[in-house]
Formats: sequence, C-alpha cells, structure tokens
Amino acid sequence: MTAIRIAEVARSFGAVRAVDRVSLDINEGEFFTLLGPSGCGKTTLLRMIAGFCDLDHGAIHFGERRVDTVPPHRRNAGMVFQNYAIFPNLTVAGNVAYGLKARNVPAGEIGARVARALKLVHLDGYDERWPHQLSGGQLQRVAIARCLVIEPEVLLLDEPLSNLDAQLRVEMRREIRLLQQSLKITAIYVTHDQEEALAISDRIAVMRAGRTEQVGGPTEIYQRPATRFVAEFMGTTNLLSGIAVDGPVGGTAKVRVGGQDFALPAGTARPRDAVTFSLRPEALRLIAPGEHAPSGWHTLEARLAGVEFLGVLTRLDLQLADGAPLRAATLDLPPEAALRRERITVAYDPQRVTVLSKP
Amino acid sequence: MMTKRQFFSTVAALVLIGAVTAGPAQAQSKQVVIYSANEATLDTLVFDAFAKETGIKVQPVSSGSGVLVKRIESEKARPQGDVIWGISRSLLQTNTQYFSAYTSKNKAAIPAEYRDPGDIWIGNNLHVMVILQNTKMVPENEGPKSWADLLDPKWRGKIAFTDPANSGSAFTTSTMLVQLFGGGEVGWKKVEELFRNIKVLNRSSLVPQGVGNGEYPLGIFLEYGGYVWQSNGAPMKVIYPADGSVVQMEGCAVVKGGPNPDAATAFVDFINRKDTRELILKNTFRRPARQDLDLANLPGKMPAMSAIKLAPYDEAAWTEARAATLDRIKDIILKTR
Amino acid sequence: MRIAAARAGFPLAVAAVAFAFLGLFLLYPLFGVFKASFLDPTGVSFTLDNYARVLSRAFYRASLTNSLTIGLGATLATTAIGVPLAFCLARLPVPGKPVLLALAALPLVLPSFVGAYAWVLLLGRSGIVSQALRAIGIDGVSIYGKHGLILVYTLQTFPYVLLPTLAAFKAIDVSIEEAGQNLGASRWRVFWTVILPVAAPAVLSGALLVLMETLENFGVPFVLAEDMPILAVEAYKLFIGEVGGNPASAGVLGVLLVACTTVALLLQRYYLGRRRFATGARRTPPELVVGAGLRGLATAYCWGVVLLALVPFFAVVALSFMEYRGPVLHPGFSLDNFLRLLDRSQRPLMNTLVLASAAAGGAALLGVPIGYVLTRYRSRLADVLDIVAMIPFAIAGTVLGIGLVISFNSGWLILTGSPLILVLAYLVRKLPFNVRASSAILHQIDPSLEEASINLGVSPARTFLTLTVPLMMGGIIGGTILTWVTIASELSATVVLYSGPWATMTVVMFQALEGTSAGAASAAATVLIVVTVVPLILVHRLLRRHEMSLL
Repeated sequence: MTAIRIAEVARSFGAVRAVDRVSLDINEGEFFTLLGPSGCGKTTLLRMIAGFCDLDHGAIHFGERRVDTVPPHRRNAGMVFQNYAIFPNLTVAGNVAYGLKARNVPAGEIGARVARALKLVHLDGYDERWPHQLSGGQLQRVAIARCLVIEPEVLLLDEPLSNLDAQLRVEMRREIRLLQQSLKITAIYVTHDQEEALAISDRIAVMRAGRTEQVGGPTEIYQRPATRFVAEFMGTTNLLSGIAVDGPVGGTAKVRVGGQDFALPAGTARPRDAVTFSLRPEALRLIAPGEHAPSGWHTLEARLAGVEFLGVLTRLDLQLADGAPLRAATLDLPPEAALRRERITVAYDPQRVTVLSKP
Repeated sequence: MMTKRQFFSTVAALVLIGAVTAGPAQAQSKQVVIYSANEATLDTLVFDAFAKETGIKVQPVSSGSGVLVKRIESEKARPQGDVIWGISRSLLQTNTQYFSAYTSKNKAAIPAEYRDPGDIWIGNNLHVMVILQNTKMVPENEGPKSWADLLDPKWRGKIAFTDPANSGSAFTTSTMLVQLFGGGEVGWKKVEELFRNIKVLNRSSLVPQGVGNGEYPLGIFLEYGGYVWQSNGAPMKVIYPADGSVVQMEGCAVVKGGPNPDAATAFVDFINRKDTRELILKNTFRRPARQDLDLANLPGKMPAMSAIKLAPYDEAAWTEARAATLDRIKDIILKTR
Repeated sequence: MRIAAARAGFPLAVAAVAFAFLGLFLLYPLFGVFKASFLDPTGVSFTLDNYARVLSRAFYRASLTNSLTIGLGATLATTAIGVPLAFCLARLPVPGKPVLLALAALPLVLPSFVGAYAWVLLLGRSGIVSQALRAIGIDGVSIYGKHGLILVYTLQTFPYVLLPTLAAFKAIDVSIEEAGQNLGASRWRVFWTVILPVAAPAVLSGALLVLMETLENFGVPFVLAEDMPILAVEAYKLFIGEVGGNPASAGVLGVLLVACTTVALLLQRYYLGRRRFATGARRTPPELVVGAGLRGLATAYCWGVVLLALVPFFAVVALSFMEYRGPVLHPGFSLDNFLRLLDRSQRPLMNTLVLASAAAGGAALLGVPIGYVLTRYRSRLADVLDIVAMIPFAIAGTVLGIGLVISFNSGWLILTGSPLILVLAYLVRKLPFNVRASSAILHQIDPSLEEASINLGVSPARTFLTLTVPLMMGGIIGGTILTWVTIASELSATVVLYSGPWATMTVVMFQALEGTSAGAASAAATVLIVVTVVPLILVHRLLRRHEMSLL
C-alpha cells in the first residue's frame, strides 16, 4: 500500500492554468476521487500522476519515492483509460500479459498470472478472444485486469465508466470498489458524476478551474459543502444569502432572506454578517395543518407553486414571502389535502443547515 | 494479412535482385570513366566500338557540358573521371587547370587551330551553325538563304533557337551575328529584330526535334541535327547561310589525376582515328576535326569546310564579355516577347 | 521551470538523429549553395548586392511572377478539379469506382519531362490532336505557354489534392452532416458550411504540395515554357548553364524559390494551427441517392478527368510500340525500341530498383519516427523539426544535388561516385512525404494506446517499436511504396549526382530524349510505368483496406 503526496502541483497550457497549485495527501489504501466538471483540471492532474503530463511546479511522491521526475513507464502506476485503450492487435490474454512481458516475467508465470487476473474481473475463458469481439463492459474488465496484473503501487482510473450504459455503470463501479478494497490498493478515480463519486469514494476532492474547492468524505462534501460551487455541484440545494438580523436566540442564529427569517446553527453568524447557507430540499419537512414541528425546528410559511412527482420522492416548488424560490423534497407522498392548499408550512432542523465558509 | 506479407516479399525480392546484379559490375578491372556532353546515340556508338576493340569498359557520365565541368571542378581534390569529351573549345581553354597534357597520335592530322599548343586538349569534331528548314511547312525553295533573310517579319514566331544562357553554340551564334550585322549598336539592333522572330527554347535538342516534328518551320542549330533527321526520313533541309557562318569545335581532354590514366589516353587516341571518325560521321553526322575524310562520298554528302563561307568571329573578346552580353540578350528576349 | 526530462528521452533522441541527419545532408549542402548568393565577388564579405542586382532585372522579376502565376493557377485548378472529384468518389454512385481510384494515382508515376514530351506530340503546333482539330476548323490550339503549363501541371498533380480530400470526406462522421440538415440547412448548404470546412485542412495540405511541386519543377517548363522565363528553369540554367554558371545569381534565385515555398508552408501551418478538426468517422457517410442525370454527370466528370490525365500515359505507351528511325517517328508497329533498350538498359533498370528500394526504406526508417515525435510530442523543438523536415519540399532536386556534390566530394566524408549519395538525395527529398504520411496514419491511432503501454512499464522507445509500428504497418508499407514509385521517376537530383554505372531509368530516358532516340525514351518510360504500376496497385488495395490516404 502506498500513500500519494501531491504538493503544490501546477501546469499551464498557454494562458490557461489547467492545474493551479494543488496539494493533496492521499492515504494508503484509500479510494480517492477527483470530481469536477469538464475542464476543471482533474484529468490533467491524473495524467501528471501517471507521468503523461509534465509539471511546471511542485512534486508528486508515492510513499517516500518522488515520482514526478521518473519517466511514466517506471512509475508503476496502473492506469485505466476512459476509452479502455485495449491493444487491437493483441488478444485478451496478450493485452493482459503485455505489462508482464515488459517486466520480463518468466513465460510460465505469465500464464498463471494472466489467468488469475482474468478470473478476478470475471473474464476467465476469454483469453483468446480479440478485442473487437468484446462488448464495452468486457473491454473495461480487460483494461482493469491488464492494469492490476502488474501489481501497480497505485491504481489510476480516468472516467472509466463514462462509455458504459447506466445499469452497467452501477454494476461496474461496485465491482471496482470491491476489487480495490480486496487488493488494498491506493486508487485515484476521476469522474464528473457526483453520484458515482459519492457511491465509490473514501474521500473526494471537488475541483474547479484547476484548484481544489473542497476535500472530504462523501457525507461531508454532500452535507457540508464549503462553497457555493460545491453545494451546487453536489446536487440540487437551496442556496440562500442574507444578513444576520440578531444574536443567538435559543441556540440559533437568525438570517433574513426573502422577507422571512431563517434559523442557523448557533455560533455561525454574528449580527450584520452577510451569510450564505445551504438548505437541502430533503431537510425541509411539510407540516400538515394541526401538526406540530419537532422541537428546536424552525418553521416557515410558503406558497406552493408547483409539485413534481418523481417516483421515490416528490419535489415541491415553494415561494417565499417576496417570491424567492425554495425547493423542498419529501420521500413519502404528501396527503392530497396538503397539496391543495395554497399556503403551506415547512420546517427544518437548523443543525442541517450548512453555512458556507467561502460564499 | 496475406497482402502485407506479399508486400514484404516483393520489396525483399527487389532488393535482393538488385544487390546480386549490382555486385559484379563494380569489380571491373579495365575501365575508363568518360564525362560526356554528347547525346546518347553518339556515346553508345563510340563506347561500344572502343570496348570491343580494346576490352576497356566505358563508364559514361552523360550530362550537359556545364554540369560536367562543374563536377570536375568540385571533384578536383579527388577526380572521379578520366576523360571529358564533347565540350567546346572555350570551355576547354578556360579549364585547363583540371586537365593533363597528352600528345595524341593523331595530332598531325588535326589543324593547329583545333588543338592546344601544349597538347592539353585536342579537337574531335566541328559544328557549323546552320539554318534548318522543315520542307513540309515551308516549300524547299521558299526558305531563307542567309541570316539576313531571317529578319523578315514573315518568320515571326517561326524560328526555333536555344537560350544563349543555356547553350554555348547559341551564345556563339548570337554574338557572331552582332558582328555580322555590322557590329556595335547597329549589330545589336538587328539581332534584336532577329529575336523578335525567334522562339527561345530552353534546351538545344528541342530545336531539331521541333523543326523535324513540325513544331517550328525553321531552326538555328548545328548542322549534324539536320542530317540526322534528314537521313531518317524527316522533311528537313540544311541551309548554310550565304552571309557566312561560324564553326565551333568540340574536343576532349584527359582529366588531371583521373583513376585510369592509360585507358584515358587510349580513348583520346581512339576517337580521333580516321576509321573512328568515319564510323561516327556515317552514324551521327559529326564533321571531323581532321580534314582528311572524303565527305562528298560519305553519307549526308556534307560540303567540305573549304566550301563553306565563314564569318569573322572574335571568340576571345566575346568570351571575355560573356556576362554582360548574356544580360543584354536576356533583356532583348524579355523586350521582344 | 518545467520538469520535462522525465519523458523526453525518446523524442529527444529521435529529434537529435533527425537534426543531425538533416543538418548534414540538407542544411549543410544548401548552405554551400546559398552562401554564394550572400558573398561579394571576392567571396569573403557579406553583401546583398547579388539580390539587388538580380531583382533589378526585369527578366528575373518576370520569372518570379510567371512562376507564381503558374504555380497558383495550377494550385487553384487542381483544387477546383480535385475537390469535386473527391466528393464524387466519396459520396456519389459512380460506376467503376475501384478502377478509377487505382488509375487516379497514376499521373504521379510518369516523369514530368516525359509527360511534357508526350503532350507536345499531341497538342503541339503540329501535334496529332492539334492537326485533327485544325482539320475541322479549330485553330490555335497549343500546349505552349502559361495555360498549357497550368493544364499539364493540373493533370499531373491533381492526385495530391484528390487523395487526402477523398480521405477527409470519408472521415467526416455522418452525424455532423445530419446535424447540419437537422438544423434546417439544405444539402447544398451543408456541403458549403460543414463538409467543406471540415475537409479544408486536407484540401489545403494537398494544394500546398501542388504549389511546391509546380514551383520547383523544371522538366515541364523546360519543354513547354518556350520564351517565358520561369524561376526554376532560370535557376537551373544559372547553376549549370553550358556557358558557365553564375553561382551568385543562381543562389539568389534558389533562395527566392525556397522563400516562396517557405511562405506557402508557413501560411498553411498558421491556418491549420488555428483549426483542428479531429473527426475520425464512427459512421462513414453513405453514398448519396441522386437522380440518373446527376449520376450520369458525376460519372462523366470522374472518368473524364482521370482519363484525360492519363492521356500522356497512353501516348507514351503507344509511342514505344511505334517505329522510330533515329529521332524520326514513322507510323507503324515495331518492337525495335524495346530491343534497342534491352541492349543497354538492364543495369539502369536494376539501379532504379535498388536505389529506390534503399532510399524508400531509409526514408521510412527515418520518417516514421520523426512523424511520430511530431505528432505525439508537441513542443517548440518539434515545431522547429517540423519546419526543417519540410524544407526538402521547397528545394529543387538540382539545387540539392549540387549542394551534395560540393559538400561531400572531399574532406572527412566523401560520397561522390558512390551510389550512397543518390540514396541520400532521394531520402532527403522524400522525407517530408514520409513524415506527413506517418502523421496522417498516427492521427488515426488513439494515443491512449501508447500511453497504456507506457503505463504498463514499456519504455516510450519500445512502445513505439513494438506497439505503434505494428499498428501503423499497413500505412507504412503503403507510404513506402508510394515513395518508392516517386523516387523511381526522379530526375532532377539524379542527373546531377549519378556516376558511372549508376545511371537510372530516368537518366536513360532523359539522355535518349535529349539525343536522337525518342523511341528508346518512350520504351524506357513504358518499362518504368510497368515496373511502378504493379506496386502502386498493391498500395491501392492496401489503402482501401485501411480506408485511408497517405498524402
């Protein structure tokens, strides 16, 4: 198992700073994801770790070994490419044996190791197939087997699932995660799909314009986004900005937004502070007439502007007093009666509000 | 996959065949390297005859005389050729530093004006500048009789000539005509009139080819061209201008420090022998430099030198003024287009 | 500061070898030739007088204008003919397409001076066709002059535009076209606004080749320009004029020639540098369904152009079976030309095969790695190498030949007199072609394959040899054979460099045509055509399998 240390790494292409002084410490055996929209620098950073992109500045270490000065073929960092990059002129076995031959592994051993690697990705018996005879998912498995068979120090995955259909994607990501855990290998995974990132990662670095916006575990990133960008990128949320109106009352702070008061966790705002906070739609609960909100919760009056039924959950589009939108989501189908009313009451636990440190 | 393999084997086979056949040819023991400015027909004729008689194989390097002299010049530190053959007297005279003296066995038969006083070079054949006429395009008796006739505007665009910048004989002819037409500005003015009628071609061989094939009714060229085409059935007439012409000599020299000096001198002797000259005249109509052949009874029935009127020509002066003269001719060409 | 050393070893090594080779066998000889143009008559001090002198002369200015007019005219004409032809062959149901495609590359095989000779016999003042036209009252048809040169160049070089454009049309993913139509554009509009712009880089690189070929060629204007001064011809005359050359002026014209082609090259790079259309068709566009009228028109057009371009071919082959007495052509069938040729041309034929094979092989060995480095490792060094490796395009063969003789006749490296100097000259001249062909092939190979290999622990050099080269093999073989074919018809450098026993078929042809045996020349041309057409057909089949073009 190998820790990866990325220190102050930077690279520009012309005037564009593709990677702008990024520092990351990735722990031994960790499944670490670089998440962000296209053009955010995540792939460039991964290619820097693999050695396919030179650094303008900074250093990369695998454990104690500095690798950014090592040619890519001596880094021992197995990479799975977005388009699989399966050698079309070699059979499945030939592809998997490729890296072993380069390492001058004895022929007898190669056979056994190839067989083992193919078994690992559930492709036993496909040895003599040609790449053009395989499906996308199978090609992906070959790519992973080819990569794992050389027992790399770290595993790098560049959007490996983006060419697969939705169902296969879910299946494969689970397999990749299980493989990584059973082999106890440090993995860096690049994706733009936040759901994928949340599902698979130990930790996630959300990247934007060459910088890391936030690094943390999936729940932390999702529930406590550090910036507006992260909050928005991690899924639909209510991002609200306003001015704190008075000091802590009953353990909460109050902020005035859209003509209404919102309660925030205690100690998160001082009077006259400009505050931006995220209130997730699923944190809002519909309070039926006559029902009481749990104690400590904050209640709001709102106008119901629209209802969207999405199967598992139902989304409500609300409007605050001055017309500002607020979205709520609920797992259970709300009673018909509640939805017929124009004015409804919602409530939330102030502890579920995240005040953004960098508005 | 089969196709790829076929490609490989084809290429491999070609290389192999080449290597096998190329090998032995280099192991020739008796050979001579001739830098020849002559055309291929003459080369083949002479080289075959020479090899047959002496057993010496000729390795020809054929090119324009300019290229050949350039080559000798650039190879002077390590000469590759043995003999240079078929180049003009002025080129021989101006490049004597690259040649070594040899007294030919045929020296006595060659008039003094056609050999070097120090035997550094020797003349082989003479070219008389003539007017060629395609008798299919211009009836036999309606052609020009003299250079002066060529100034007639009716020949506009109908006379093929070579660019004097690219042909020694064309340079000589043009400058001779300046003299013939009165010299100085008067002469130049008439030459300009002549150029008005002329199609200036880039290569001298295009002149007889053009007249013979009917591309141009008239041409200014060396006499042999007319006889070659005539004897092979082309409607070609050779006109010796009544107002006089100019003779150009072609000769040879032994290259100084060449790899096969003995074979070189053997070749120099061979090409000037009387029987060789007869063979050459019969096949390619080159007028010999030696004056003891009976031209009237040989194919072509060429007139003897004594029967041809020659115009005065100051070769040395014109060679001296070559650069400026060529510039002037260039201007005339551009102006008269 | 960039820490680039990590992965630069292999490209640096290739670049070093390439620079060493091109420096020694291209730049150094050229320097020798052009040095003269910058020196005063004493040969010591630097001066621009030679340029002032040459450019002050209307004659040489006219040669520059003529060359550019003809070159640009031919470039426009080849584009105007080649692009529709490519489109018809790519997208319209033209009968006999495979045959047409095979025939379309043939004009590149015939040495241009032989083609010019054939055109004179057909369309000269007393050419067979001209006379026939005169008999029916059409007078004044002539192949001489500017329009004739443009015509001959166009018919000889249009494959340079056709082949890459055809490949580009086929590489446009059909979805792009469908998207255009979906957005409401008519087919015609889609062609002008989507298809043509996407194919433009391919068209442009072909057009550039045409411009360079026409600017440096002297075999055709030598015969067809008559009075008109042409830059390449004047430079040739000044270099090796029979009356004695003028190295200073010749150098000036040589530099002008190189300057013109270099400007064209840089313009093209500038244009292409700002546009990168990587398409790589997932779905090759289908043949369009058109009415019988349009189909007939396209058929007539394609066959018309290709057959017209092959006229000199047929003419030369026909001439070789006619009776020649000396230089004079007599109607009537005869095999004498071939018998006469057989006497003395076995060795030249072998020379052509051996020299062309050695040079084509060498050009592949050097050109493929250079093309690889240029395509896969973009850097400033690569940009410089790219430009240097394209210089031979701009250099007339004669100029390079003279430079090689000057540079390698004495001193530490003596090459004159050995066949190696011919091989080197061919190699240098054809290198740009190989480099481009390799780049074209590489654009179709996903770079992540190589990265995967390197990532698995195989060094970049070994990855290139054991993965990339096998993947490129079809294209490399095709490119090498095309190079081989064009070398076999090379004259301008050969005529300056060959020695003794190493005369090639083109030298034999040139000398025979210069002298009094045009019959032997046409027979030699026929033999050369046969020898080069066979591998060309093989290339064609190979290329079709790979759905690609090498120009």
